[in-house]
Amino acid sequence: MLEEISEYLEKLRSTILSGDSDSAREIAKILKEKNVNPVDVVNNAIKPAMDEMGKKYENLEVFLPELVLAGEAAQEVLEVLLPKEMESSFIKGKVVIGTIYGDIHDIGKNIVAAILRANGYKVIDLGYDVPPRNFVETAKKEGAKIIGMSCLLTPSMFYMRDVITRLIDEGIRDKFYVIIGGAAVYPDWAREIGADGWAKDAERAVQLCDTLLEKGHELPKPVILGEWR
Amino acid sequence: MDLLFNVLDKTLTGPPMEKHEFELKLVPRVTREVLKEHGLERTFDPNNPINTDLSLAEDFYRAGYDFAIRVGMFCPDTGRRVIFTEEEIKQALRDAPREVVLGYGKDSVVIRSRKPEDGIPPVAEGSALGMAVSEEYFIPLCMTIAQYKVIDIILAPTLDRINGREIRARTPYETIMGMYEAKYVKEALRRVGRPGMPLHGVEGAPTEYAYISGFLPGGYDPERTIGIALIPEPIILSYQIMHRVVTNHLIGSPLEAGHMLNIGGYFGPPEGAVVGAVAAQILQTVSMFPTVVESTILDARFFSNTSREALWATSTSMQARTLGNHVMNLGITSQVSGPCTDMLLYETTTITIADSVSGVSIEIGTRPAACRYKDHGSGLENKFFAEVLKSSAKNLKLSDANEIVKAILPKYEGRLRDPPKGKSFIECTDLKTLQPTREWLEIYERVWRELEDLGLPRWE
Repeated sequence: MLEEISEYLEKLRSTILSGDSDSAREIAKILKEKNVNPVDVVNNAIKPAMDEMGKKYENLEVFLPELVLAGEAAQEVLEVLLPKEMESSFIKGKVVIGTIYGDIHDIGKNIVAAILRANGYKVIDLGYDVPPRNFVETAKKEGAKIIGMSCLLTPSMFYMRDVITRLIDEGIRDKFYVIIGGAAVYPDWAREIGADGWAKDAERAVQLCDTLLEKGHELPKPVILGEWR
Repeated sequence: MDLLFNVLDKTLTGPPMEKHEFELKLVPRVTREVLKEHGLERTFDPNNPINTDLSLAEDFYRAGYDFAIRVGMFCPDTGRRVIFTEEEIKQALRDAPREVVLGYGKDSVVIRSRKPEDGIPPVAEGSALGMAVSEEYFIPLCMTIAQYKVIDIILAPTLDRINGREIRARTPYETIMGMYEAKYVKEALRRVGRPGMPLHGVEGAPTEYAYISGFLPGGYDPERTIGIALIPEPIILSYQIMHRVVTNHLIGSPLEAGHMLNIGGYFGPPEGAVVGAVAAQILQTVSMFPTVVESTILDARFFSNTSREALWATSTSMQARTLGNHVMNLGITSQVSGPCTDMLLYETTTITIADSVSGVSIEIGTRPAACRYKDHGSGLENKFFAEVLKSSAKNLKLSDANEIVKAILPKYEGRLRDPPKGKSFIECTDLKTLQPTREWLEIYERVWRELEDLGLPRWE
């Protein structure tokens, strides 16, 4: 029995690495039927797969499509295995992410989303050209801790402030960390609009989320990672 | 216009597909297939950042051509693939212009189709590309760039505000901005005595509102301005971009069709990026009928094209495109370090040489500090860029270029992840004379002496 489960876990690990969401979901269903503890699935299949994927991406051995598909497969498995109320025990946190209104650039945001998933976050990706209201409504609905906004065009960056204003107006500013990134925005803009953090690149965006969730309430804002010297 | 109708009709009738499926599955799969079929896997050579093997470049052209035929483009507005026949592709490539004259009188320039090691210099376009610039410094910055005669064309930076108002995308503020950008840049050219200098715009337009208003009477003159249809990812044919294409064709203005492509992105490794750039050049020619095609291969790790991988991919793909057809190619230099640093000039040197000797027709100057910081550009790095561009075309073979780039790269590549911010426009420019500060000029002189020692003569 134990050997059989080990085989399934190994199969699940390699299926996640190959980015095959359909097969990953089927294996997850089998593991659930066999009453395998979700902790064992996370520790022996999901986490090793995503750690390996993250390392390969850093070394340019795999690329954005593989990273995204693996992250989606891992998310499928968690959705099969975990009731909604248990989800928070198995993820670092939920991040609502998107490219702000008026801007259709999305590859940078996609890289950040994929790397966050690879590092244990649940990511709700709103896509590009996202109105400020959608960030706030989705974050409330999903119980997210972090709202991440990307912007590559100067005339779109002003809408980032609208997201924060909306949170203040609704009296829920302290319920979310708001972080920003992308070519059009810079640390002083994060300060000006009252964001909680700014990161220069995808790797630092993960560090920023980790830092804010671990000790965000103690730190002066915004937390800036990777400012030009 | 019939040809454009044909393209637009395809966006309504092509095979349906999810964007997710197209970008994450079809594109990577066919990229891997054509690389394998043409024997191009693992051909990236980190020891030779400027490719000197033209037969390799020709093989990449064939692989990119195959990709273009097999995959086509994708329209996110209708969720359909846009596929072209080989005859349509061949016809569009045959019909592409080989030359265009822009500007008026003594300020006019000719952009020509070039090949690798072509001794006729490319056209130099000055800018602080994509950078937000305060309204008060917008005209002075454009003047500092345009005052240097070695620069042939100007591309405005992005206006930050107008009359103190934030310019918000998709609002009437944006519509006003399109016209103001054109008026301000033309005023700068008038003040430096180059009223007929060619233009490129509407640079700051996030959507079609500012784009169309910028070409209204009194704004950008259609006969002296290259329009911009830049797609964020290659081979994605969105209606927002097609609005610009249609506008330029309706008013008879030259057009740049361009795309950004990331190493590590949907096309994968440096070799995949080369295939993507070739395919996108072909597909943008057949879908947009442009005057010039821009392909910028960025290293996603740094958001620049000055890393070893990006230089190799840029030089190889530029050679492939210029050998494979006569379409005129536009290049961009995209740096991560800021003004008044030697690193900015080193980065500028490597990418400018890479494009120049590989056959670029027109090259756009600098994007200091990856355009992250407002008002962080100046005139001097543009002058330096234009001088290196023209001198390297006239004086260097591919093998010479490779040796110079090999000598310069180690001076900065370890700092790409954490580059120096440098100084802002007002910190490195005397606003009364619009000349660079002594500090900035000394750095410029020192780097030029280093280049002369490496065998690149100064452009006089």
